[in-house]
Amino acid sequence: MNSFRIVRAELRKLTSTKMPLAFLIVLVVIGAATAVAVAFGTDMDGSKTFISSAADQQSMMAFAGNALVIAGLFGAIAVAREYGHGTVVLTFLATPRRSEAVSAQLAAAFVAGSVLGLFGAGISAGSVAAGLTATDFGFMVSVSDLVQVLTASTLAGGAGAVLGAGVGALIRNTGGAVTGTILLLVILPPLAVQMVSETASWIPGTLANVVSGIESSVAIGPAILAIGLWAVVPAAIGMFAVARRDVV
Amino acid sequence: MQQLSIHQTAPETRSQLSDDATGPSARSYPLSIEGVTKSYGGATVVNDLSFVVEPGRVTGFLGPNGAGKSTTMKILLGLASATSGHATIGGLAYSDLSDPTGTVGASVEADAFHPGRSGRNHLRILADATDTPLERVDEVLEMVDLSAAANRRAGAYSLGMKQRLGLAAALLCDPPVLVLDEPGNGLDPQGVRTLRNLLRARAAEGNTVFVSSHLLGEVEQLADDVVVLAQGRLVTQGSLSELRHSASLVRAVSAEALRVVLQGAGGLVESGQPGTLVVRGLSLDEIGEEAFNAGIALHELSRQTDSLEERFFAWTGAGSDTQSSKE
Repeated sequence: MNSFRIVRAELRKLTSTKMPLAFLIVLVVIGAATAVAVAFGTDMDGSKTFISSAADQQSMMAFAGNALVIAGLFGAIAVAREYGHGTVVLTFLATPRRSEAVSAQLAAAFVAGSVLGLFGAGISAGSVAAGLTATDFGFMVSVSDLVQVLTASTLAGGAGAVLGAGVGALIRNTGGAVTGTILLLVILPPLAVQMVSETASWIPGTLANVVSGIESSVAIGPAILAIGLWAVVPAAIGMFAVARRDVV
Repeated sequence: MQQLSIHQTAPETRSQLSDDATGPSARSYPLSIEGVTKSYGGATVVNDLSFVVEPGRVTGFLGPNGAGKSTTMKILLGLASATSGHATIGGLAYSDLSDPTGTVGASVEADAFHPGRSGRNHLRILADATDTPLERVDEVLEMVDLSAAANRRAGAYSLGMKQRLGLAAALLCDPPVLVLDEPGNGLDPQGVRTLRNLLRARAAEGNTVFVSSHLLGEVEQLADDVVVLAQGRLVTQGSLSELRHSASLVRAVSAEALRVVLQGAGGLVESGQPGTLVVRGLSLDEIGEEAFNAGIALHELSRQTDSLEERFFAWTGAGSDTQSSKE
């Protein structure tokens, strides 16, 4: 009960500013671009092969990779700004046990990130469907595959937000947290693959594609676990740092 | 500058809150700082500090900028850890209190708000976290006269309005302890007076009120007791009235001879005007008897009442970065 009310407070924090609206607008813009690309885009040869099969369309609407990054930025900004604005003082006064307070922040970030991921995938799927109306192709993705795309994006959004929240708690500076999240999710993984090619299957983008059903380099179960680890490790480091630091 | 208007809480609300809070108001909560030292890197900002803040009194916490007041308050509230020593509230560390916000209302940073969040939502978040009915949010907004601006972004508030929002947050759970860091900053004279009345009323109910300030005139009119820091160390503490009357003025023809006599009796003697001594550590009776026994005629022997500002500068040996305000 105690944990529930703290999570409720954290959710109110996330929803009582215009930040969710800003991210929603980003999702809509991405969706609009997707619809335009589906409607008017072509392959190099001028054909529309990229949307000619169910698998192609599923690949086009898969949003989990984007959800990881977008929700990651959401989580990083949300938590880092708490430190920047000093509102974390109120958080720790109400919940002096830091691990409990940070757990609530992470839980709220997971919920918000999941919602962002679900919205993103929903908007993406809707955009593909809308774009297809301007082509000769119909909507070919099965309901089960559509559900997988939506579920994968929801899960990835939650994981990304937890990762970002952990980075935000660790770095505490909004610019630094954003940079750290982009480094972790976008810049470092390809570099790691360049150095150790076996890591290619375990970087966030690949794992998101596996969970979305558009890639099969690893099984879905291990992929879900690996995405969880990508989120939990920075979150645990952030929580450890918060527990040891003074609020100054 | 903002005017602060504090309205009384409805009696039924206070009663209900006390019941809901399993009666924290039913007991008193002295604040105890015991041998607290805080070091950052090689710098010691609080040095072996010990004092007690008693319930039922308003205690002013004074010191020049950088003296360690805010750090001490943060250690008390569990926001910073002490390098050594302990800070307790009613015998418990803040983090060990069963109902921390129901026991202690604190405002330690005037602008600790998300600028894009409304004042009402700021308080609703605290209400959610502390399981306080949302109706209480509107009550405290009314108490600090912020109802009209409650739905405006806190980033657009003036400093005085932010102070009032911070005070509203501190009062939200109707706690028996208030810990406020510079609550009068940005308030206009009427606001300062109303704040003073509120804090004095809460102390009169047996609550503990601990207020830091660099506005000496404000503290002079507000505090029963003062704790004075300089460079992280305790300079003095005690009843403000006693501290202000702790010196005696002595005028004698043989002032230097009298100085030797009084110093021999354990007094701390400073030179005042020519032929005049300022004596601490001896009562008027003791000074009179010592002078009589030494055969020195006194032309004047009176209690000296310094202003808090004069005493503060004497205690801290500073003042250039500490301002005085007589409202």
